[in-house]
Amino acid sequence: MGTEKIPSSIVQFASLDKLLGLGRANSLWPMTFGLACCAIEMMAAGAGRFDLARFGAEVFRPSPRQSDIMIVAGTITKKMAPAVKTLYDQMPEPKWVIAMGNCAISGGPFKVECNYNVVEGADQIIPVDVYIPGCPPRPEALIEGILVLEEKITGKRRWPRVEPT
Amino acid sequence: MSIIRETKWALLELFPEQKATEAEAEVAAWNKIIADARAKAEAEEAAKAKAAAKAAEKAGEKTEAAEKAPEEAPPPEAAPAEETAPAEEEPVPEMDPEGDPPVSIEPESPRPLGVLVRDYKARGVHLDVLCSPDQVVEAAKLLTGAGYFLESVTGVDWIKEEQMEVDYDFNRTDGPLCRVVVRTRLPRSAPEVPTVSDICPGAGWHERETHDFFGIKFIGHPYLVPILLPEDADYHPLLKDFTP
Amino acid sequence: MTEPILCTPDETFVLNLGPQHPATHGVLRVKLTMDGEYIVEAEPVLGYIHRMHEKMAENGTFAQFMPNTPRMDYLSALSFNQGYCMAVERAAGIEVPERAEYIRTITVELNRISSHLLWWGAFILDLGGFTPLLYAFDDREKILDLLEHVTGSRLTYCYYRFGGVYNDIDDEFITGTREFIKRLRSRMPTLYHDLVTGNIILIKRLKDIGHISPEVCRKYGATGPVLRGSGIEYDVRKNEPYSIYPELDFDIPHYPEGDCMARYMVRMDEIEQSLRIIEQSLDKLPGGPVQAKVPKTLKPPAGDCYAAVEAAKGTFGCRLICDGDKGPYRLKLRSPCFSNLSLFGEIAEGMLLADALAVMGSLDLVIPEIDR
Repeated sequence: MGTEKIPSSIVQFASLDKLLGLGRANSLWPMTFGLACCAIEMMAAGAGRFDLARFGAEVFRPSPRQSDIMIVAGTITKKMAPAVKTLYDQMPEPKWVIAMGNCAISGGPFKVECNYNVVEGADQIIPVDVYIPGCPPRPEALIEGILVLEEKITGKRRWPRVEPT
Repeated sequence: MSIIRETKWALLELFPEQKATEAEAEVAAWNKIIADARAKAEAEEAAKAKAAAKAAEKAGEKTEAAEKAPEEAPPPEAAPAEETAPAEEEPVPEMDPEGDPPVSIEPESPRPLGVLVRDYKARGVHLDVLCSPDQVVEAAKLLTGAGYFLESVTGVDWIKEEQMEVDYDFNRTDGPLCRVVVRTRLPRSAPEVPTVSDICPGAGWHERETHDFFGIKFIGHPYLVPILLPEDADYHPLLKDFTP
Repeated sequence: MTEPILCTPDETFVLNLGPQHPATHGVLRVKLTMDGEYIVEAEPVLGYIHRMHEKMAENGTFAQFMPNTPRMDYLSALSFNQGYCMAVERAAGIEVPERAEYIRTITVELNRISSHLLWWGAFILDLGGFTPLLYAFDDREKILDLLEHVTGSRLTYCYYRFGGVYNDIDDEFITGTREFIKRLRSRMPTLYHDLVTGNIILIKRLKDIGHISPEVCRKYGATGPVLRGSGIEYDVRKNEPYSIYPELDFDIPHYPEGDCMARYMVRMDEIEQSLRIIEQSLDKLPGGPVQAKVPKTLKPPAGDCYAAVEAAKGTFGCRLICDGDKGPYRLKLRSPCFSNLSLFGEIAEGMLLADALAVMGSLDLVIPEIDR
């Protein structure tokens, strides 16, 4: 779910949409929404060393009504799934979802034969824009995920891609 | 008195038969200790008297070397006798009435009801109690009265034996360490055991969890609803024959 | 503490705290029956992150369960590693080499400090102060770097093996740890204590709030800093010595007040004690192997055993039941926060809502460890 799918007004303002997209991409407000281990790395990404603020995404809002992106940081269980869905529905458009960590991607280490309580992937209940693998992903990976989301919103990458050494 | 011994005797109140036999053994051990101590004291006295006599003899005359030989002969005889006695006494330090009780011999399965003393290094518990389901409350009362607290409650599904087991782990925060596990076996078809949550309120959540996982009913529990599983869960995932 | 206010049922209303709430540190839900600002009844609702650890243990081998342990309490993952390792080692009769025990102690205490630091930052954040979180994370990152250097991961360490550790520590780690000790010691009095502990706002929010008596602790089986904050000097490392703790000289901080401030102080003092433990272990670090010879497939004899360790939050116990097979027949994980939280319903009665959040923070809850 990106901007292009959102039913906008009948009269389209292409340049204005682009401008809005740029504004949105540069100040993504994530929701303070930690489920498990990945939430700690999300906190670390927001803290001094990795400093998510450099990319305009540090304003963690405690309320879904004020957030742009939902970072699903952790395992979704069957008991939690309705709450996640509600939170997603409560977020105002336009909204994006990042599935952080293997649990949110596919159930991760809990996708086992005897699984009776874990939802195997956030995309089973809500649409996901960016997947960040790792168990848990490093804060750098989360930052990269946010940059990828920005790229998805504006259509071009703001920051140079770092080649693996 | 060692805390393990004290707790063991307190718990033996639940098992009069074992208590009688253990008491007999204890009395025998006591008698043996007393007898041994007496024998030892006598032997020491005799040795002392002999030494004194010898010293006196030595001081008196050193002339008759021929007579010395037969006199020296008895001590070697006595010495082995003294050596064998401690060998027999070997278990006595374990039966030290002030110290920790000795580790029980592993009983044949199925294990009879009663208290076992376990090897802490290998098992991590000191006392292992197997009681009938209706004795659980009594055991919990005894232990909390003696200063123990309930650390956890858990179930085990022994599907081959058509039985369920409930384990209660007790521990204490003051004084020397003594861990007690109280177990009880229930029929798998109708697993029911009285609750201990009125004695140890902390058991409330543990019992709810055990009920979630195994479907064991804790009779008298004030609020036996799912705690970890969804509210409407009607399955018990930790049963061995569970399939999601 | 405020006395509960009696009222007729129609004056009360139900307030849901969580499962998504910034101050519940995860997905804990507390159903509060409120009378105005006062709590009449509090019922924690668990299970929002129940991840079937115990079922997974039964379906795999002993080694296959290892990666699950750090994902229970991801803040003090190594304590959980150690607890599980000790249970299996006890069942299989494996002896751990001395050097490995020292390495375990050093790393587990570093992990304990990082857990306490994170708790400290997040706790102050709950109370409304943002800056301390950044200080705490600054120091915490230093620990994570050190641990990453030897374990290979930042958070969910799976470093211990049955009969030793996976990787030997090197000089870089040792010098880095010594530097870290120096650094934290220099920062503790100024940054941590002068700025926060002595702060009048913090004292007002914590002093005489959320009394937990030793009797309540015992009734509910609370352990760790919660118990020590109620004045009981109980620590598995001292009372049930394992590993090399009997050879080390450290104290068990305990405060008799039983309020939030006491629990706060216990954790702050524990950081210093952990530093002492690390320092001594580094000085005494012997040479030798870090891994005992262990068969590839473990098959401990049938029977059950119990092992307990002092995790950052309290006693973590493992009841391992084997039937002679390659994996556990049943593994019960006794998590400290489960018991620590169970007393919340009793102490929250008559408390102000804002104070209840302070109390919850002072219990240092990690929800995946409660739900397992």
